[in-house]
Amino acid sequence: MKHLRAVNHKARRIQEHIENDVVAMQGPPTPAGQRPHVPMGCSIVFSPGWEVDSSGGTAGLCQPVERDLYDCYISCYWPAQVPDHMNNYPDWTAKCAAATKDWRNIDLVFP
Amino acid sequence: MRLLVTLFLALPILMQAQGGRGRGAAARGADQTPAPVVEDGIPVTDPLIIAKCSGCHKKDEKGNLTRISWERTTPEGWQEAIKRMVRLNGLELKPDEARSIVKSLSATHGLAPEEAKPVMYFVEHRIQDEEFPNDTVREACAACHPIARARSWHRSKEEWDLLVNMHRGYFIVSEQSFRGRGAMAAAAGGGRGAAAPPAPGTPPVDARPPSDQAVEYLARDYSLNTAAWAAWRARMRAPKLSGRWLISGYQAGRGKVIGEMAIEPGASEDEFTTNVKLTYLKDGSTATRSGKSVVFTGYSWRGRSTTKNATEPSAQKAGGVPAELRETMWIAPDQNSMEGRWFWGGYEEFGYDVTLHRANDGVTVMGTDLSMIKTGSSAQKIKIYGDNFPKLTTADIDFGTGVTVKRIVEQTAQQAVVELDVDAKAIVGKRDVSIRRAVAPNAIAVFDKIDYIKVSPDTALARLGGVKFPKGYQQFEAIAYNRGPDGKLNTPDDVELGRVDAEWSLEEFYAVFGDDDKEFVGTMGPTGFFTPSAEGPNPKRKFSRNNYGDVWAVATYKGAQDKEGKPLTARSYLVVAIPLYVRWDESEGPK
Repeated sequence: MKHLRAVNHKARRIQEHIENDVVAMQGPPTPAGQRPHVPMGCSIVFSPGWEVDSSGGTAGLCQPVERDLYDCYISCYWPAQVPDHMNNYPDWTAKCAAATKDWRNIDLVFP
Repeated sequence: MRLLVTLFLALPILMQAQGGRGRGAAARGADQTPAPVVEDGIPVTDPLIIAKCSGCHKKDEKGNLTRISWERTTPEGWQEAIKRMVRLNGLELKPDEARSIVKSLSATHGLAPEEAKPVMYFVEHRIQDEEFPNDTVREACAACHPIARARSWHRSKEEWDLLVNMHRGYFIVSEQSFRGRGAMAAAAGGGRGAAAPPAPGTPPVDARPPSDQAVEYLARDYSLNTAAWAAWRARMRAPKLSGRWLISGYQAGRGKVIGEMAIEPGASEDEFTTNVKLTYLKDGSTATRSGKSVVFTGYSWRGRSTTKNATEPSAQKAGGVPAELRETMWIAPDQNSMEGRWFWGGYEEFGYDVTLHRANDGVTVMGTDLSMIKTGSSAQKIKIYGDNFPKLTTADIDFGTGVTVKRIVEQTAQQAVVELDVDAKAIVGKRDVSIRRAVAPNAIAVFDKIDYIKVSPDTALARLGGVKFPKGYQQFEAIAYNRGPDGKLNTPDDVELGRVDAEWSLEEFYAVFGDDDKEFVGTMGPTGFFTPSAEGPNPKRKFSRNNYGDVWAVATYKGAQDKEGKPLTARSYLVVAIPLYVRWDESEGPK
């Protein structure tokens, strides 16, 4: 950016963020200091992932997650994180008559 | 997007179902591959297991039950298998029968101590980086769960294949990682995972699906019949643990603890009752607990202890004092020491890292209250903890070269307060602390300067909660380091000096424009204790997003300066995630 000067609002906003580089905007290689290191237990192979998305951050996840929770259950999409409807936990949402209101009633599952 | 993926997931499964077994047999016939050699199974002799399991798991003339006889695993592994049988296959068991079966299978179909040790972190609920033979195996196994889950089992080749099939049947999305993202994307007509044609001269790539490569790796390195297990099967004996044990431990956020565990015989030869007394060296506060434990396979301690004086997790008391905690320890084959983790919390995020040694008649040194002493300091007071200290003279105590014990201020049989002079030119590094012939190795560090700090853990995971689901807290610590003899920072010869009191804050981890995670994810306490916000949609946030996000946890230590004269800082990447809706790993132990 040494030879470029911001002339309009959008360019100035980009310049503001140069100091704190925006990870999601970077192609590889990501600067080492900014590269997220994914904790064990985070599932990233699917994109977006459950705890983190494929870039290792949380910016690309479903928002809010509850919007998608029931769908994940019915389509058995996140077998390690959300109980699946097809085989293992057919009754998981039994206490949750209206998913939009009662999602808090669905319980943790202890196999 | 998910629908699409599900659709083209289903296709290969349908095709496979059509082809069925006939296809496999035909293929074998065509290329003359010999039928797989059937390995020797491990017979099941427990009448209860035969009665409960042989309805489905057929018994052969050698006493093998199908599947069961070709698998070995930890008590947790067997517990999980049994729970799945109850959940999906109509097994009916009383709790006592289930406990008896887990005990029995752990003894006859368990892991040898040296096989279990590398995967202890899994049952101890520690988050740590895992090593993989290659990225393909990582994708096949660790896309959904830690690979320690697979490495906690030893199976025949055929059993590993059947495990893959079990996943395909019960957890259909696993097909995605079993076939590989590249292959799936190519099948769907390109996409970002599709592989480009290899450049001429590049070595051939293993084109087999990740599941096949993972099975090959697991069947080779985690096979059913091993020398280690054969040796342990012969050597395994009832644990003789009764008596007094000395505990030295560490709790993140509260520092070193020492204490004693009195172990008494329980209902059977592998069960015990315990009474524990712990002292926090930093503030001298104490805690007492009593508990019960079972020892599986001759060395796997699983216990549960309780106290009436429980306190909640807080920034001042880190994980607090839990009403109940669980103990997971690996007992050394000589039965004179054990080590492991005692844990609690909604996600087992709090815990003591403990090492226990059997108390004996001789002098024992367990450690010191301070973790570091500065060169050039004089009359530095330090407490040494241990057992059976005789009447000490300064000549009995040794901290190595350059450190002189000036006088013994006071002493009892369990602790001694001494004054030290540290030479200005004393060699920097970890020192053993010894009293006569008893030694605590690497117990204290001599340093001239704190050169930098690191935040532990360097990557962390907290979980939103507090309304319906538990909060997953995260305790951070600032660990001080000395540059070591080479004078360079961040090299292997650097000396870890122990924790220092730092100031804590959160910083934005910029992932998108206008990133605002820092305002929502939670609060960082003055002691490095992170408390996540509540779960659920937050109407105050754009798009009613959850409070999740990723931020930096930043430590600032003003007790030392860097080259530019600024206070030392360090940071750790913190992911604040949503609750986990399935809990797979409740550990086995006495109820």
